[in-house]
Amino acid sequence: MRDVRIKKKVEKILRKYRAKANVTVEDGIVFIKGTVTSWRKYVEIGKETGRIKGVKGVVNDLEYPGKEKKRKKRGEERVIGKADVVIIGGGVVGCAIARELSKYKLNVILVEKSDDVGGGGATKANNALVHTGIGEKMGTLKQKLCVEGHKMFRKIAEELDVPYEECGMWIVISEDSIAYRLPRILKKFLASYIIPFIILRRAKKLGIEMYKVSKKELLKREPYVTEKAIAAVFSPSYAMTCPFRYTIALAENAMENGVKIMLNTEVVDITVENGNVGKVITTKGAIETKFVINAAGLYADEIASLAGAREYTIHPKKGATLIFDKETRKFLNHSMTLLRLPRIEHYKGGGIMLTVDGNVQWGPTIDEIEDKEDTSVTAEEIERIFKTYEPLMPKFPKKAVIAYFSGIRAASFTEDFIIRAAKKVKGFIHVAGIQSPGLAASPAIAKMVASILQQEGLKMELKKDFNPIRKAPPIPREMDMAERKKLVERDGRYGRIVCRCEEVTEGEIVDAIHSKIPACSIDAIKRRTRAGMGRCQGSFCLPYVAKILARELNIPLEKVKKGGDGSELFIGKAKCLLEEKNES
Amino acid sequence: MALSSSLARLNACWRKKMRVDVAVIGGGPAGLAAAAEASKEASVVIIERNEELGGILQQCIHPGFGNFIFGEMLTGPEYATRFIEKVRAAGVDIMLETTVLEIENKKIIASGRNGIVEIEAKAIILATGCRERTRQQILIPGTRPAGIYTAGCAQRLINIDGVMPGRKVVILGSGDVGLIMARRFTLEGAEVEGVYEIMPKPGGLMRNVVQCLHDFDIPLHLRHTIIDIKGKKRVEGVVVAKVDENLKPIKGTERYVECDCVVLAVGLIPENEIAKKAGVEMDAITGGAIVDEGMETSVDGIFACGNAVHVHDLVDDVTIEAELAGKMAAKYVNGMEERKGLLKVKAGKNVRYVVPQMLRGKDIETIRFSFRVKKEMENARVVVKAGEEVIAERKERIVRPPEMVKILAEAKKIWEIRKEVMVEVEEV
Repeated sequence: MRDVRIKKKVEKILRKYRAKANVTVEDGIVFIKGTVTSWRKYVEIGKETGRIKGVKGVVNDLEYPGKEKKRKKRGEERVIGKADVVIIGGGVVGCAIARELSKYKLNVILVEKSDDVGGGGATKANNALVHTGIGEKMGTLKQKLCVEGHKMFRKIAEELDVPYEECGMWIVISEDSIAYRLPRILKKFLASYIIPFIILRRAKKLGIEMYKVSKKELLKREPYVTEKAIAAVFSPSYAMTCPFRYTIALAENAMENGVKIMLNTEVVDITVENGNVGKVITTKGAIETKFVINAAGLYADEIASLAGAREYTIHPKKGATLIFDKETRKFLNHSMTLLRLPRIEHYKGGGIMLTVDGNVQWGPTIDEIEDKEDTSVTAEEIERIFKTYEPLMPKFPKKAVIAYFSGIRAASFTEDFIIRAAKKVKGFIHVAGIQSPGLAASPAIAKMVASILQQEGLKMELKKDFNPIRKAPPIPREMDMAERKKLVERDGRYGRIVCRCEEVTEGEIVDAIHSKIPACSIDAIKRRTRAGMGRCQGSFCLPYVAKILARELNIPLEKVKKGGDGSELFIGKAKCLLEEKNES
Repeated sequence: MALSSSLARLNACWRKKMRVDVAVIGGGPAGLAAAAEASKEASVVIIERNEELGGILQQCIHPGFGNFIFGEMLTGPEYATRFIEKVRAAGVDIMLETTVLEIENKKIIASGRNGIVEIEAKAIILATGCRERTRQQILIPGTRPAGIYTAGCAQRLINIDGVMPGRKVVILGSGDVGLIMARRFTLEGAEVEGVYEIMPKPGGLMRNVVQCLHDFDIPLHLRHTIIDIKGKKRVEGVVVAKVDENLKPIKGTERYVECDCVVLAVGLIPENEIAKKAGVEMDAITGGAIVDEGMETSVDGIFACGNAVHVHDLVDDVTIEAELAGKMAAKYVNGMEERKGLLKVKAGKNVRYVVPQMLRGKDIETIRFSFRVKKEMENARVVVKAGEEVIAERKERIVRPPEMVKILAEAKKIWEIRKEVMVEVEEV
C-alpha cells in the first residue's frame, strides 16, 4: 500500500520535471529509470523523491546529456583468500568497522583501492569536527549515531593515541542570522529568546550540555566576534580530532588485532550464490566470504550494484574549506558558526573552526556536483567562503590563507545514513550515505554494523586477547624539552628538522615510511606527519621529503610520487629531455 | 663541500651547552658575511639548518654575483665559497643541519642530529633569509596535482637534486627567480610556454628580462595571470587570462594552455618566525625586522640583515649590509656601542619603505639608506631630509620598483638637526 502511495508521488515529481521515466517501488526503495534533459533536474528529482515520507532509498538511474558511462575494470578470478567478513573501503568508516570487528574471533579482510587508508575520499578532506549531534535533523539515524559516537570518542582517541580536544563551539545568532522579512524588533526577540530556547530544548532532549550567553559575555570571551551578535549558545563538548591520524590509528590497531588490510586493491565484482554473497573479486584476486560490508563511500552505489543490491544512488556534494596560518589562532578561543535562517537542508552551515594543529579553517561550502572526483576549489568558492564567514568575524586577517581543499560528501538522496542488511542479497551490509557527521559517528556506526552482522547470523565471539591500545610514533614538537632531548640523543634523526614550518623531523618521516601501513608518497607522509602542511606548503621541504622517501623505499628520486599512481613528482633525471632530443 | 666533511666539522664544535659572543642564525650570504666580520673581534657560531653553508646561492649556478664587491661575475656557489673560506679561516664554529627552535633572552635552543643544544650568546644576528610566496597565498583556484612548484624549489630540484620537474612549463611571475628559471628550464630542454605577469611591467631586473627571456625567445605576457589549474594526478594545463586595472581577470580573455608543470615566482617574504619568537618588532611593509643604522633590531643585542630584513635583488647589497651587522654586533659584545637617541626614518613621496627604519646615533659616519620606489619614474631626484633640511640628494635617470635604490647620508648632519628623517623621490 505504502509503495503505491510513494509511486504516485514520485510520478508527480517526474511530471513536474518533464522526465520520460518509469518508477518502481519495492519495500520503500524507489527505482527511477528513463531520461531527463539536464543533470540539475536529475539531482532535483532525486532529492525531492528522497524527501517523501517512507522512502528508504532512491536509485536514480535517469540518463541526462553528458552523463558519464562507467567502464568495468577487469578483475582476477583466482582465489587469493578466504574471510568471514570483507570490508570494502578504507576510509574512516571502513577502518572503524575493521577495528570493531577485530575484537571478535573473526577473519576480516579490508580492501582499499587507493594506496593508503583515509587517503582516497572524504576522510582526507573534511573539517575534522567531532559533532555533538545538535546540528542534525531530529530523529534521523545520523543524529542518533552522532550523539552516541561523540560520547565514545574520547576513550577511543585515548586508546589509539590520537588527538581529541573538546574545543567548544559557539552558535552565534546575529543581525545577519534571520533572512526572513520581519520587523526588527521581532527579529531581535527571536534571536535573543526563541531560537536559543529551541536549541537548548533540543540539547536537553539529546543529553548535550549547552548554555546561552548574552552578547556582552560573548564579546568578552570572543573579542573578535561580530558586533552584530545578539546572543549565542555555547556547546562546551563540541570537539575536534585529526581524521588522518585517527583513521590510520584505527587501521593499525585493527591490524595488530588480526585484520588484514589490502591496499591498491579495487573491487571489480561481487558474486552471489543462492542469494548469498560468495566472492569479492578484486584487481588482486578473489576473496571468498559470506559477509561483505560496503563502506565504499562515494562509490557505495556502484559496489552495491556489483552484488545486485542497489538500494540508493550516491550524489556527490562538494565542500570547500580555507585553511589559515597558525598566527590567526589568537582571534578565537572556540570554534563558531553563524546561525542562519532559513537553513539549507542537511547542512550545518560551516563556520570558523579551530583545528587540533593550531590552524583556523573557514568553511565548508556545500554544492551538488556531477563528478565524484572533482576536488577542485574554484575562484567563486573562495570568494563565497570569504563572503559567508566574514559577517561572523569581520576583523579576522583574511589574507593569511595558507591552503584550501575540497572534499566530496557521499550523500544518498534520502540524506540519512543507510546502514542495514541488503534487502535481497544475504550477507551484504550497506554502510552508505555517510556524510557529515560520519567522523563523529564512526565509533557508533562500527558498533551498529557489528550488531547487524550478528543479527544476520554471523557467529561473533569476543577475543580474550584484544589489545585496544595503539601507540603513536614519537612527535618531538609535542614533547617536553627533557623528553625531547633524550629522544634525540637516542636517535639523531629526531633532531634533524625537515619541515621547518611544522617542525617535522626526519625521524618522524622515516617512522611514517616504515609504519604498519607504509606511507609511500609525499601526501601520505604529509597526512601522518604534517610535513608540507605549514605556511610554505612544502616549497622548502618537498625535495628533502622526496629524497628521504627515495632512500627509504630504495627507489630513484624521479620515481617518488605525490599521491597515487600517475602523480610522479618529476618526469625524469635532469638532462633527460636533452638526451631525448639527442636521440631523435 | 662534501656532506661527510661538513658533518665532521659540525661534530667538532658541538656541545650540549655553549657560550659564545655572537650567534648567527642562518649560513647563507648574509650570515656568512656577518659572521666573517664579527669574528674579527668576537667568538662566533653559525647555526645553519641545511646540510651545507651558502644558502640559496648554492642552487644559483648561473653567473651574475659579485660584480660590485669583487668586480667579477661569479656563480652563486663561487660567491658563497669566498665567504665560506673566510669564516673557516677565521675559526668560526659551524653547526649544520641544526634548526633554531626558540630564542629567549638571548638563549638559543636549537635542534640537530647531535642533540638539542643550548647556546648562550651575548649578541644574535638573524640572517634567516626569505621564503617564497605560494600558490595558495595568491589564491590560484583549481586542483592540487603534482607538478606545481615554486621557482626556488624547482631550481633546487634541477640544480642540486638532479631531477626534472616538467616537460612543458608555464611560469607565473616575472621576478628575477622566475626569469632565471625560464632560462634554466629552456637550457634543460624543456619548453617554456610563456612567462605570465599580472603587473603591467616585468618584476625583475631589466638585464634578466633580456638575458633570460629575449635571448631565448620566451614570450612574456604582461597583465596576465593563471586563473585555474587543471589535472587530477599531474598538471594537465592551466587557464590564463588578461587582467584589468584592478588585477581582476577579464571575461572572454581566458585561454587554455596545455602544460605539465606550473612554476610560481610570485614574490618573496622575509622569514621571521624566529625574530617574532624573540619579540623583535616587524615592519608591516617589508615583512622583516625593523632595524637601526647598525642593523640592530628593537631588541637589545639582536641584529638582523639580508633578506630577513627586506628582500634584496643583488647579493652584493646583502653582503654590505651583513658586514655592517657583524661589525656592530661585535662592538655591542665588546661594550663599544654608542647611542645618541632615537630618530624615525620615514618613507616619503614615491617611496614604499626605507631601511633602516630608525636611527640611534651609533658610531657610523655614513648611513646607507636602502629603499624601493612605489612606481617607475624617469629623471628622478632622490632626497634625504632631516626635518625640512636636505641632507643628501642624487639624480637617477630611472627608478623602478624591482630595483633597490641606495643613497648615503652623513650621520653628523642628521644628529646636528635631530629631526625625523624622510627619504623621497621626486620628478625633476
